[in-house]
Amino acid sequence: MRLLRHAATIAAKDVRAEIRAKHALATLLPFAATLLVSFGFAFGPGRDVLLRTAPGLLWMAVLFAAVIAARRAYQIESEDGALEGLLLAPIDKAAVFLGKAAAVALQLLMLVACALVLVVVLFDLTVRGPLVLAAAFGLGAVGLAAVGGLFGVLAEAARTREALFPTLVLPLVTPVLVAGVRATDLAATGRTDEAIAWLGLLVAFDVVFVSLGVLVFGFLMED
Amino acid sequence: MHDLHEKHARSAVTAVELNAVTRLFGANPALVRADVRVAPGEVVVLRGPNGAGKTTVLRIMATALSPTYGHGSVLGFDLVRERDAIRRHTDLMSHRTRLYEDLSAAENLRFWCRLLGVDGADIQAALDRVGLLEVAGERVRGFSQGMRQRVAVARTLLRRPQILLLDEPYTGLDAEAHHAVDDLIREASRDGRAVVVATHHTMQRGLADRVLFMDGGRIVREGEP
Amino acid sequence: MEIAARGLGTATSRSGERLLGVAALLALGLSATLSLVVAPPDALQGEVQRLMYVHVPAAWLAYLSFFVVFVSSVAYLRTSRIRWDRVAAASAEIGVLFTALAIVLGALWGKPVWGTWWTWDPRLTTTAMLLLIYIGYLAVRRITDNPTRRARWSAVIGVVGFVDVPIVHLSVVWWRSLHQQSTVLRLGGPQIEGSMLTALLVAVGAFTIVFAYLMAVRLRVGRLEERAAREALSPRLGEVEEAGR
Repeated sequence: MRLLRHAATIAAKDVRAEIRAKHALATLLPFAATLLVSFGFAFGPGRDVLLRTAPGLLWMAVLFAAVIAARRAYQIESEDGALEGLLLAPIDKAAVFLGKAAAVALQLLMLVACALVLVVVLFDLTVRGPLVLAAAFGLGAVGLAAVGGLFGVLAEAARTREALFPTLVLPLVTPVLVAGVRATDLAATGRTDEAIAWLGLLVAFDVVFVSLGVLVFGFLMED
Repeated sequence: MHDLHEKHARSAVTAVELNAVTRLFGANPALVRADVRVAPGEVVVLRGPNGAGKTTVLRIMATALSPTYGHGSVLGFDLVRERDAIRRHTDLMSHRTRLYEDLSAAENLRFWCRLLGVDGADIQAALDRVGLLEVAGERVRGFSQGMRQRVAVARTLLRRPQILLLDEPYTGLDAEAHHAVDDLIREASRDGRAVVVATHHTMQRGLADRVLFMDGGRIVREGEP
Repeated sequence: MEIAARGLGTATSRSGERLLGVAALLALGLSATLSLVVAPPDALQGEVQRLMYVHVPAAWLAYLSFFVVFVSSVAYLRTSRIRWDRVAAASAEIGVLFTALAIVLGALWGKPVWGTWWTWDPRLTTTAMLLLIYIGYLAVRRITDNPTRRARWSAVIGVVGFVDVPIVHLSVVWWRSLHQQSTVLRLGGPQIEGSMLTALLVAVGAFTIVFAYLMAVRLRVGRLEERAAREALSPRLGEVEEAGR
């Protein structure tokens, strides 16, 4: 219980700071939008190709945004030594992981909502199964945030090697990409009952990575 | 707190103890076979040039770093095996103030009080003591370094740690903040809590009990303040 | 775990290492004879099928070595003994080498048989992801010169990466089943001929001995590196510190 309370304190602090700094609004959204428009140029203007690639492109945008958001989540901790404060606070370090992951997941969901509108407009995507779509992005955001919340702390330590964090994280989240794209595709075409298996895979990924994060995060923080 | 009383009974004379502690960073020795003993209520000052190992001593006492060789204890708790217990009673204050730019001074303090398990009812009073009551609701982003340091002092005031570790607390401070730090040390010492300060500055007369001179990662000599 | 550690100590002594080296050479010789001379060429694929006798053992070593990384990472996190970190590091390096070898050999074999270097076959794709994950693992090993911290960070990735592999594989299998292409030629199965099977098993055995030998060498080099670093340090420390496990 104390673990969850501390995690909520950290997440609330992050969300509040992000709302004020408007980092997500000022950086993540334009980034995702630019990416989607560029994809449009790369695969358009044929309507069929765009429609077929839309779920994949949407998830690629979310994936890259997750990498940026996770880095940012730990950047605000190291600006003025707060990460050491968290380390030395008498709390279970898993609370830091859970708090960070929750804050990143919230940002991703906000981003997804905006990006989805863009994809519907730009790529003419129709959504026949909104519930499945919402579930896919909700579960996917949790999975991406869990991996980001776990390894974002390494990205901060490896500031001089910018490519290291994406190199490490992107292969690990392959299942989220595959399952998310398929579920989105099925939701768009209305074959929602086929999407259940993919949602199940996302649930499994989330459970595994949230539990792993709780178990091992302390090892990443301690000296 | 039970554990603390029990441990105190066992080691009433030492608050902090380092025995032949060596710390390496890669192949570089930052601290070599340091022996330090600090009694409750004692104020010990670490002096020496940059890179002498002062910060390393403090960070080992705070359990931010672990000793590469040697061992030690804080309030009778082992530096490596009983980190959590040490962290409950130890506060490390440095020029890195651990404040979030986009939160106000009061919000920052409330956040840290929650995580540190400290009652946050006196936040306004603490900010008043360091002369920041009027700007309590303003974002830290607009604060000078001196003001940030004073917020950090307020946090330590709220916490009243058994072991107070200060790393260059006077650097970049205005006169008001300087006094706030001195008050912090005096109050801690009066209450029988141990204080270790690493500083280049000359401390106020009568504030320090003992000085350890450091050079090249070693404690080279001990002296009167 | 203590017993495993002691066994490791014996295998990595100089005599143990030499013994392993000789055994590896003999086994490789035997395996080469069996797979190149004794086993018949494949009825359909002809001589090129003999690539199987290196491709399959290389893939086996890939998975074996990452299993070793996983086990020693868990052991390190539980015991904080730096020797487990050395085992994980050595095994990861060997694993990356053999994973790459397996993929390259697979591509060489695939070209004449399937008509393409690469197909998004689940096993192939999972192996490629495995390679990427452990390249990331080795990259993390370079970011800090604090040995304890490096050990802890890489142990976490060694655990997380290994746990992730089955999920990756499952997702790729399902993904593939969506657009099923003509069935690719499958290895193994009951139709494999006796002498071919023997040759394959011997090759797998030989590669496993090679793995043990490479591990022994890499661990010795790791110990030497550490000793060199310590000796370079000791004059500055004034006296040689206790070696620390």
